[in-house]
Amino acid sequence: MLRSLSDVQADFAAALRDPAIPPPAGVVGPDGGPAPRRFAVYRNNVLVALGNALAGAFPAVGRIVGEEFFRAMARNYVLETPPTSPVLLDYGVTFPDFIAGFEPAASLPYLPDVARLERAWREAYHAADAKPLGAADLAGIPPEDLPDAVFSLHPSLRIVPSRFPIITIWRMNVSDVPPSPVDFAVGEDALIVRPDAEVEVRVVPPGGVAFVDALAAGETLGSAAVIGEASDSRFDLSGNIAGLISAGAFVDFRRQPEPAPW
Amino acid sequence: MSTARNLTTAVLAGAVTAAVASFAVPASAAEMEKCYGVSLKGQNDCAAGAHSCAGTATIDYDGQSFKLVPAGTCTDMETPFGPGSLEPIQRPT
Repeated sequence: MLRSLSDVQADFAAALRDPAIPPPAGVVGPDGGPAPRRFAVYRNNVLVALGNALAGAFPAVGRIVGEEFFRAMARNYVLETPPTSPVLLDYGVTFPDFIAGFEPAASLPYLPDVARLERAWREAYHAADAKPLGAADLAGIPPEDLPDAVFSLHPSLRIVPSRFPIITIWRMNVSDVPPSPVDFAVGEDALIVRPDAEVEVRVVPPGGVAFVDALAAGETLGSAAVIGEASDSRFDLSGNIAGLISAGAFVDFRRQPEPAPW
Repeated sequence: MSTARNLTTAVLAGAVTAAVASFAVPASAAEMEKCYGVSLKGQNDCAAGAHSCAGTATIDYDGQSFKLVPAGTCTDMETPFGPGSLEPIQRPT
């Protein structure tokens, strides 16, 4: 009986992921017999290619753990999480979560957050372009409109909070700066944005994560400021706004219509 | 009543004004001028023939070395040898 194409493909995919499964029927050599060694070459190519894609997307993680460890970790991830799309740009979205649950990496508790930063960097790099508002644009908003102003944030903007100094660790591992001792007690929340051609990574000031999250969720400036203050007593509204302007985080604003009084 | 009302318009306006004001300083070379005779040794931006370039001045307040400063501020700068100059000068003498 002829098997359906989807069944044949499912068998093929299963055999790719598990060497214990014999090569699917129809994978034959010139003699017409089964060709397990040829299939093994193909299986290895798939694993290596996807591992290379991860190594390219997570260079700091790769440098921190070393190539051998990274290869082994990537191989585990690839077998567990094959791509769901032919677009490799999106491959590895769940790699940071995988690392968080990967027992051999448990001695590096900051590693998942560094991976999240690298993932956010990549998303920012490929996000849509948008022209940021300048300081003068914000200065032009009538003061009475400010409490109800709703901002559109840059499409490339990402926030990665962390209780570890992930920006310091990341920078040290993607540049030629010689590594130096890091104070792991100091957390760094990262803001990643690509206002123009270059992706920028900045430290978010205290309360800034809640503030930016609120703005991104469409809260008005007034209520986002309240949320920021509530989240951290050190919250500095003016400093946060200045930081976001200089990062190119704002791209548009509108005045939220006053809700009807009834 | 929305939470926005917990912060007054004045507080928000003040915060935005202060944030915007922090960008009022000259940010690019277009708003800078070359100021001779004010840089400390090793901190100059470049020079008029006295040495090769940035950071290589070997004496303080060298009249041949300039530093980029915000436009309009050079000749108000005081040094032990007099104010800054927009042209190369001879000093220290």
